[in-house]
Amino acid sequence: MGGKFATLIAARAREGAAGLSGLVGVVLVAGSPPSPEPMDENRRAEMLRWFDDPAQLTEKAQKFIDDNTNDGLPEEARRQAIVDFVRTSPEAWKGWLAKGSREDWSAQAGVIALPCLIIAGEDDGDLREAAQRLKNAPHFRTVDSAVVPRAAHMIPQEQPDHLAELICKFCQTISATALPVQFVRLMASDRVSDRTRCAMLARHSGPGRTDGSVLSQAQLGVLAAVVARILPGASEPSDLARRLDAGLATGRGDGWRFADLPADVEAWALGLDTLAAAEPKFARLQGDVQDAILRAISTGDFDTQNEPSRLSANGMRLWFEDVASEAARLWMSLPATWAQIGYDGFATGDRGPLQGYQETAADVPEAWRLPLGSVR
Amino acid sequence: MSAAHSPTGETDVVIVGSGAGGAPIAARLAQAGLSVTVLEAGRVFDSAEHTPDETTADLYWMEERLSGGQDPIAFGANNSGQGVGGSLLHWGAFCPRPDPRDLALESETGLGRDWPFGWDALASYIEAVEAVVGVSGAMNYPWGGSRFAYPPVMRNAPAHAMEKGAKAVGLTVSDAPAAVLSRDRLAGTTPFRGHCINCGACHQGCRTGAKGGADNSFLPMAVASGARIIANARVIDVERDVGGRIKAVIYRRHEQDHRLDCRALFLCAGGVETPRLLLNWGLGNASGEVGRNFMTHVATQVWGQFDADMSMNRGYPSSLISEQMVRPRDADFAGGYLIQSLGVMPVTLAGGFARGAGLWGAPLVERLRNYRRLAGIGINGECLPHDDNRLTLSDEVDDLGLRKARIDFSYGENERRLDAHARKTLTALWAAAGAQDIFAVARSAHTIGGCRMGDKSDGAVVDADGCSVEIDNLYLCDNSVFPSALSANPALTLMAVALRTADRFLHRTRTGDF
Ligand SMILES: Cc1cc2nc3c(=O)[nH]c(=O)nc-3n(C[C@H](O)[C@H](O)[C@H](O)COP(=O)(O)OP(=O)(O)OC[C@H]3O[C@@H](n4cnc5c(N)ncnc54)[C@H](O)[C@@H]3O)c2cc1C
Ligand code: SF4
Repeated sequence: MGGKFATLIAARAREGAAGLSGLVGVVLVAGSPPSPEPMDENRRAEMLRWFDDPAQLTEKAQKFIDDNTNDGLPEEARRQAIVDFVRTSPEAWKGWLAKGSREDWSAQAGVIALPCLIIAGEDDGDLREAAQRLKNAPHFRTVDSAVVPRAAHMIPQEQPDHLAELICKFCQTISATALPVQFVRLMASDRVSDRTRCAMLARHSGPGRTDGSVLSQAQLGVLAAVVARILPGASEPSDLARRLDAGLATGRGDGWRFADLPADVEAWALGLDTLAAAEPKFARLQGDVQDAILRAISTGDFDTQNEPSRLSANGMRLWFEDVASEAARLWMSLPATWAQIGYDGFATGDRGPLQGYQETAADVPEAWRLPLGSVR
Repeated sequence: MSAAHSPTGETDVVIVGSGAGGAPIAARLAQAGLSVTVLEAGRVFDSAEHTPDETTADLYWMEERLSGGQDPIAFGANNSGQGVGGSLLHWGAFCPRPDPRDLALESETGLGRDWPFGWDALASYIEAVEAVVGVSGAMNYPWGGSRFAYPPVMRNAPAHAMEKGAKAVGLTVSDAPAAVLSRDRLAGTTPFRGHCINCGACHQGCRTGAKGGADNSFLPMAVASGARIIANARVIDVERDVGGRIKAVIYRRHEQDHRLDCRALFLCAGGVETPRLLLNWGLGNASGEVGRNFMTHVATQVWGQFDADMSMNRGYPSSLISEQMVRPRDADFAGGYLIQSLGVMPVTLAGGFARGAGLWGAPLVERLRNYRRLAGIGINGECLPHDDNRLTLSDEVDDLGLRKARIDFSYGENERRLDAHARKTLTALWAAAGAQDIFAVARSAHTIGGCRMGDKSDGAVVDADGCSVEIDNLYLCDNSVFPSALSANPALTLMAVALRTADRFLHRTRTGDF
């Protein structure tokens, strides 16, 4: 049940709901999917009757533990699990089995642009790994899966240490992408509209594996190497390259292109191929050597050997201008960059009375603003 | 998409485009009792839904245009809009009056082209537009005295720096004329509009209504007088009678084609779309002049880094102006330029630095990282018509089957000299203001010309009344009819020309000259 709710709350974060903008990832532990939970109907019918006779609750609790664990629970955990079970509200128990578990919320869940760790117990019944991959994984753009051995459905009680280790590792990997707390607080405040917040969150998570792509792996590698020199030390070049690739794949242009270049997708691919053909090892060259090549390109002096299937020296100059401009625009559009440079122009009001800025003169601060310089 | 045109009815006048050209005409003709239908390709925007997020704002005309020449023009977000209200949804609301001398540049210098009417013919219309959109500015404006209905909006940090630098180099500056309300305006003939909250997101759409636009001025006035505005209606064709007059327009809306009969057509689709449509339709171009005389404004910027937290995204961006360089004493070029303080949002800034200053690598990253310490000033400068600068049709077609526009543009000698003069002036000013690491960004702005207004005898596309010299019930009104670029930003002048065009049309209708 918790899994179904967790996924739906994450979906609301995607919609820009205030207060949820700090969400950086989701961990589903033997989670129930947003679609109807797979459940044996006989078992459902039987379990619906479990709370009919209060005298038998402890016995049912024991059965619940037996059914949902690989090999029972250690004494302490078993006692606690029985206490928990006995305290369960009968209405909630029946509500979940008869209704909640059957409800289909998959449309509302959609695909969520957050990393998700999906954990399954090796010996779980209806919610084991295969079911997780089928029912939960499609709702997240990036998914890591883990199977906990010697565990069924009650993983937190069966293998607490193993579970904690998985979660810690996941947190470490996703914390690199988390926005700073102060920035998240501002983003979550009533100074930001849902539309703006939603757009910022989507941009922050970037394209997923299923988003469109028009460049080959080789082209992406060259693009990342070029972007690394256009924006040295700014942001992970391969991430920027992948974002540019996904942007090209949407087919949404920026309203114009150089008449001397073919359509955007073709021009970008051709430019990368032209560079790779003349400089096959470009991605592995020293930074200053790469810079010298890019400088020649930017001034229209790159020797493309007049090969008709490639871009001309002038074409390469225009191509490079496009790549530099698009990469720079992209980097300056990322919430992570805004947090670093202290840009808070997105937080000038939601619907209703709009706050704007009270002060516009140099060096006059406002309490709500991000500090000058990097934000933590 | 259906092939059959479902007839949608009949109207006196169809206006294509609801921006600075179309909206004033709609208001005036509807007030005069004509039945008016405005067909607008874009959607309706509720001001509350605007977002300061540059990547998300969807007010721009993003269909592809091809840019050639030595100084290819960046279109898209830099140049034109779509939506009920046109480019006035995202314009900067910088609202200087046209300088009377600029309207007669050819008489003065032998270069450029005179307008077919002078300041006197335009003055009352300029005042009328200012009254409708609400303009704020200085009490004692150095170039024309007190004329503003509202006190100036707050100056931004770059404006303060510009004032300091200007004082040091002896340049006169003033709070700028801005179509921005510095206090609330109650509902009257136009809806309630809140005051400016200094959010700095004018180019992404104003959420309080402080910024004057067609959507909160002329369009509601038109609707109050019975005009019909149809959003998401893309005009794709016209039908003509045997005499060659326009008898109907065909527009596509939600994949359905509709025909609308009309007595007169006003094409106000913007500085690129109007000549492009005429060329696609083979209309009004017997002289071969459609697409010629394509101009823009020299819009060079000078940037520098300050020792203070400028946060230039705060406040109305163009809050300070100098008109002193409209005729620089030491000019070696015709015409001149306006200077304004800037405030540029991060994404636009990054693109400008990369394209206009050729920055990449550490110099680009270091400057952008210092976003909050950066500030700039910029110009809007005269641009002469040139034979090689023109809009033609590319062989590529868009989704509607219309050929895309190709615009070739290169600065001529006059633009290069003006640009050099401006770079020198602005750099000295910025150094005096305390800026360090000063650099220039090459840029052009606005799409002007292509359907020049003038005399039939010298090959103009429309006459002084905005009427096609070939088809007497076809009128054009947008930046494409400008005979010359002027040093003033175009929207105020265009809205005034639009009111004049409407009046001239009404006059002709009354006198039976139509
Ligand atoms: C970023 C930016 C900032 C600016 N800032 C200023 C400023 O500060 N001061 C100033 O004076 N000027 C400024 N301008 C310029 C000013 O906004 C324009 O010059 C002016 O709005 C142009 O008006 P228009 O009527 O020619 O075209 P638009 O206002 O662009 O209107 C044309 C309309 O026609 C519609 N259309 C086009 N084709 C069709 C079709 N086939 N069918 C139906 N509808 C169609 C479009 O969707 C659009 O809404 C700025 C422009 C930009 C881009
Ligand atoms: S700065 Fe003022 S005029 Fe510009 S968008 Fe904000 S409130 Fe509107």
